[in-house]
Amino acid sequence: MSIFIQGISQISIQQPLSEEWFDAPVIPHTIMSPSIDPDFGKYFSPMESRRMGVLIKRAIATSMDVMQKTGLNMPDAIIAGTGIGCIEPTEKFLTEMIENDEECLPPAAFSQSTHNTIAAQMALKLNCHGYNCTYAHRGTSFDSALFDAFLQFKLKKIESALVGSYDTMTENYFLMLSKLDYWKSDFCGIQQLRHSKSSGSISGSCSLSMMLSSLPSPQAWCELKDVEMFYRPTILQIKHNLNSILLRNELMLSDVDAVVMGWSGDRDNDDVYYELKEHCFKDVPLLWYKQLFGESFSASAFGTYVASVCLREGRIPKHLFFFPEDFEKVKNKPRNILVYNHFHDRDHSLILLSK
Amino acid sequence: MEHLIEELKKEIIEVLNLEEMTPADIDENAPLFGEGLGLDSIDALELIVLLEKNYGIKLQNANEGKEIFKSVRVMAEYIKEHRTK
Repeated sequence: MSIFIQGISQISIQQPLSEEWFDAPVIPHTIMSPSIDPDFGKYFSPMESRRMGVLIKRAIATSMDVMQKTGLNMPDAIIAGTGIGCIEPTEKFLTEMIENDEECLPPAAFSQSTHNTIAAQMALKLNCHGYNCTYAHRGTSFDSALFDAFLQFKLKKIESALVGSYDTMTENYFLMLSKLDYWKSDFCGIQQLRHSKSSGSISGSCSLSMMLSSLPSPQAWCELKDVEMFYRPTILQIKHNLNSILLRNELMLSDVDAVVMGWSGDRDNDDVYYELKEHCFKDVPLLWYKQLFGESFSASAFGTYVASVCLREGRIPKHLFFFPEDFEKVKNKPRNILVYNHFHDRDHSLILLSK
Repeated sequence: MEHLIEELKKEIIEVLNLEEMTPADIDENAPLFGEGLGLDSIDALELIVLLEKNYGIKLQNANEGKEIFKSVRVMAEYIKEHRTK
């Protein structure tokens, strides 16, 4: 069974619900750039929205937008990923718990704070009774959700799925992660993220919903050919997994037009990608995206998004090449793009997309 | 009483997150549940917390709420009589 990405919708630092960033990206100038929200009034009434934290509002807005654009209104499954879930109401609930000596606790903030209910809250709004699951697997939450959908398709249990990943950043959580050197302390522009020797990146939020379907259609962006996840792999195991994925999809490495990687400007994170370039992708053009979308536990979803848009458009804009000189190497329309993500060099994932 | 009603309306808007509503939009004599504002059971819990936190009123019996939360005016009258802070 083939799986097609019929459409993707996002809310991030970039223009919401659009691919304007492809040719005219919003350039982050600070380490914590806010997401640009659309008019939520189009998607739910004020009485509905009062029960939703900002994460759920964005998740439902991107879901409804992608459903409307693809014309697929009732997926067989809703599968979500999130690193930290609905952090905003969680903070509200915990703060009130401390301030009020564990009494007089707000029930709405409590019910909204359970991070693993995101897919369920989306299903309630969309009236979808199908398979429903939320993966809270930190930096590989999106990859896990996509892998689940991939397996459900292959087992012929579903024929369509709404898959997404959702994370927001609050001031408190940003400060906590600052103490763990998650952010660049001396950020002076996204060019600093390229070949950086220091720790930390720039912060972003992610709301990304994609519609998958087994039915080919002229408006499909690309085909999701394969998904692999592996734990603490050695470089030899990565090579082996890469070869297996290429072999079973009847491709050679020279057929791969580009590899999208999660370069973020954080030395420890990027060292893994430098090693991959050295041992696995020496002559393949490498792309990056976190300079435009920021780092978050759901950021890897933007890797698949960026690759899908390149396949849909049939071109790769210059600003996406991590090594600018690689731009000249891509002469034809890209046909096959790999997406490589890792979280703390522990959980790795490899996704193959084709046109 | 009118001052208390006004204050209560503001507090209700805040705790129930009634975006885009102002105190003037709430009719103090209209039912809070079903018709009128159309609140539900989670809102009832929020109102119980509001009474306790802001006015020191602890409802002993959940059924009391049915009477107390009939309208903003009834609620204000109850607060005036029973408040401890």
